[in-house]
Amino acid sequence: MNDAFTHRVLSYRGMDEFLGAAVPFLSGGVAEGDHVVAVAKLANRTLLQEALGDAAEKVEFVDAVEWYDHPARRLADCLTDAERAQREGRRLRVLGDPGEWARRDPAEVVEWQRIEALSNVALRGTGAFVLCPYARSLPSGVVAAGRRTHPETVAGAANPSYVDPWEFSRRCDSGPLPEPPEDAEVMPIETPDLYWLRMYVGYHAKAWGMPEDDVQRLLVAVTEVMTNAVRHGKPPYELRMWVDGGDVVTEVTDGGRWADGASFGLLPPRPAGRFGLWAVRLLCSALQIRTGDDGSTVRLRLRLPAVPAVPVNTG
Amino acid sequence: MRWASNSSRAAYSGRTRTHVDGHDMEPTWFDKRPVGEVRPGDHAWLAYGTPEERDRVIGAFVADALRTEEKVVYVTDAPPERLPGLTGPRTRLDLCTYTASGQLRVIPRSRACLDGGGRFDPQRMLETLNTEVERAFDEGFRAVRLTTDHSWLMREPGRPDLHRVLGCEHQVGDAVSPSTMAMAICQVDRRLCPPDQLAALRDTHEVLVEVNPEFDDGILRITRTFEPHGLRIEGELDAARHSVFAQQLSLVAHGRRRVHLDFSRLGFIDLGTLNLLAEHATGLDERDALVLDNLPPDVENVIEMVGWHRLPGLARGRSGAADGPFPGPEGVA
Repeated sequence: MNDAFTHRVLSYRGMDEFLGAAVPFLSGGVAEGDHVVAVAKLANRTLLQEALGDAAEKVEFVDAVEWYDHPARRLADCLTDAERAQREGRRLRVLGDPGEWARRDPAEVVEWQRIEALSNVALRGTGAFVLCPYARSLPSGVVAAGRRTHPETVAGAANPSYVDPWEFSRRCDSGPLPEPPEDAEVMPIETPDLYWLRMYVGYHAKAWGMPEDDVQRLLVAVTEVMTNAVRHGKPPYELRMWVDGGDVVTEVTDGGRWADGASFGLLPPRPAGRFGLWAVRLLCSALQIRTGDDGSTVRLRLRLPAVPAVPVNTG
Repeated sequence: MRWASNSSRAAYSGRTRTHVDGHDMEPTWFDKRPVGEVRPGDHAWLAYGTPEERDRVIGAFVADALRTEEKVVYVTDAPPERLPGLTGPRTRLDLCTYTASGQLRVIPRSRACLDGGGRFDPQRMLETLNTEVERAFDEGFRAVRLTTDHSWLMREPGRPDLHRVLGCEHQVGDAVSPSTMAMAICQVDRRLCPPDQLAALRDTHEVLVEVNPEFDDGILRITRTFEPHGLRIEGELDAARHSVFAQQLSLVAHGRRRVHLDFSRLGFIDLGTLNLLAEHATGLDERDALVLDNLPPDVENVIEMVGWHRLPGLARGRSGAADGPFPGPEGVA
């Protein structure tokens, strides 16, 4: 079996072009005994099923909203599935649906694009085969980024627009993060014992309505980030917290600069490898890192539960 | 009878215990306490599962007394040099000096609590204890520690009616509890005692005694457990305490197969500790797995997010709220 990871991009206009590429991709997988997954919204799913005929029964259809729930968790699960298939002597074959995330909040779109790029590193050697169809009607920046994150075109030719995944990932972080609000809670860290830090973070998170399970996740994440800062960074260490939209944002800053070539926890650890920042990415809704000569900033975002709308009494 | 100390030294004032999470002990009938915190007025119960457990509790109970000029009264047929937990390398005490000075009184059962026919006589036991406490008072000791192992009552042919033993225990409890001078630990080998009798005997005590913690800095407490073999981790575990935890884990794992970690009172565990556990478990085969018992739901949630499959060698043990009124394996069968 071929262990190379194959990651192709399809840039299409109209449903005929989509089906013309997606159907042979899926039916080819069924014919080869692959573990075949099609990520699709309901309308596309129906069209694909009709076109596939009997072969559709051997395709696992996954709702696109569910699949594109969380970038780091998706990459981790995808790797787990690919390795499982590989152990079974099969390959994992996935038809993606990037149109699902293409119009979300720009900060989230960047994270999905980063996953597109880094999957080329993370899934290396698993034999997985992924086809990502980008409709031309999507925002032009999304379509352009899609060309830079896939090493091959739909036909299997080398894609001349492909960019090194780590270089792509660096470009994702080139812009500065928005400044914290003036009224953010600030705690300077002077003691290496993080017990008090957790008291502080837990107190604010609960006050802002974060549920117990999420508070625990946040505490684990903050402890890891602060432990790293104290171990590898330089003083002054500071922690800030605020609420932004529906997220609790927790920021850890220090005066040090991360080593060149740091992977920022973007890749799942290899079997028996240690996990740190990578697990932090799984625990939080989003993790943003900026590092330079002026120091380093790590921002953890955790979404608060949606508050049910209260009807306004207009009496 | 005089069960109050005439010593002016207040050795046990203000020794109340709160939990590491800052809350008071749950209001239960029993108070579970490390042996180092047993104090006058405590009528304590030790149902040990292994000789090591007994040695570590009773050894500390006796040795602490001898080092602090308290009196020890031990009802047993064993000679002083064979008292539990006092002969190992942990405790080097010249016991003959203490028996000679009267600070350590080892009284054989025939003189302490048997009648002329060699049967258990609760009344005689009570009289012996009264006499010994009175003597300790006159001798000027600030406290007196009483202990005996009831296991022989469980295995003896024609053993006494349980009600007589219970009655004796109630009377000892009534005498010790209001005392400012006397404290007692009643021992029994739980393996020799049917569960219903064990529960009935335990119910005549207000305090459950256990080993002293291996480590306790107010934020993290690590205590050895014997059934199952392992450690109980209470409080918060992060990088500041990795080395002490790793050291205790390697000590308890030494030469043993399966180690259980009781996390029922774990408030926080960091990713570094999970890495540490996974590294420890690397190379263990499945039946030797490191078992995580009683994981609090929010901690388990974190582990699930990381994925149990990334922590090979760690096994999810029994679950459910741990310490009710009957902690650990002490629970009613």
